[in-house]
Amino acid sequence: MLEVMAETAAPELLPGISLDAEEKSRSSLEPGYVVICWNDPVNYMEYVTHVFQIVFRWPLQKARRHMLQVHEQGKSALARESLEKAEHYVHLLQKYSLHATMERDE
Amino acid sequence: MKRLRSQGGFIEFQLSPSESLLFAAILSRYPCLPPAHQPLSKGRKLPDAAADQRLLDEALAEQRRENKQQLDLLLADPKRFREHGADWRLSLTPGDVEWLLQILNDIRVGSWVRQGSPEDPYQHLTKKTAVDLELMEMSGYFQMNLLAGLNASSLPGRPNQ
Repeated sequence: MLEVMAETAAPELLPGISLDAEEKSRSSLEPGYVVICWNDPVNYMEYVTHVFQIVFRWPLQKARRHMLQVHEQGKSALARESLEKAEHYVHLLQKYSLHATMERDE
Repeated sequence: MKRLRSQGGFIEFQLSPSESLLFAAILSRYPCLPPAHQPLSKGRKLPDAAADQRLLDEALAEQRRENKQQLDLLLADPKRFREHGADWRLSLTPGDVEWLLQILNDIRVGSWVRQGSPEDPYQHLTKKTAVDLELMEMSGYFQMNLLAGLNASSLPGRPNQ
């Protein structure tokens, strides 16, 4: 995003990534993959919020909350999904040129 | 560049003559991001990581080829991009805007990558990076105007605000 956005690449899903309540409840039931958006200094905050709204069909408030998490904490876990769905989301986010990856949830 | 109206499923934008020139010139630089730019995962624990990465790269490359063709059609279509008196008009569906946002951000991020992905491009400005910095800023300018036009329109396509 346009302001801070230090590169905080890390090899695995790290402590400190928090999931929403619905994602947490599922995480106790099945293994999965976490879709993560990483910070960068080039994407506009409004643009990132917009992309989250479109890709995940989130309301503005939720999209903005995740955008701010990316901006302030370096990354945000956006969804916890099966392998195929996680790949689908990463593909969509990368079509918008966001820095998104999927990591095995452990 | 500003949004004029939303009508008949289209959002109409007004561009000055210089903006129309810049708009076409910037879009002619698409794609800017290098192929296979993004990893699918930072870890190494995906079951078929190499195959999945290859599929993702191929899908994105194919998408870019299609986008390039669509872009040429858009810029040559007088119903969507045309001179109008002293100005220019750009008529886009919300889907077109969404698609153009992707195109412009490819150019924005790609030109940033070509500068060496600096934290602050202005601190590392050189003769070599100046053109890419300008490309990055101008694509961002059009991006934000398209986004503002989309947000201001009452056309469907957005989740609840």
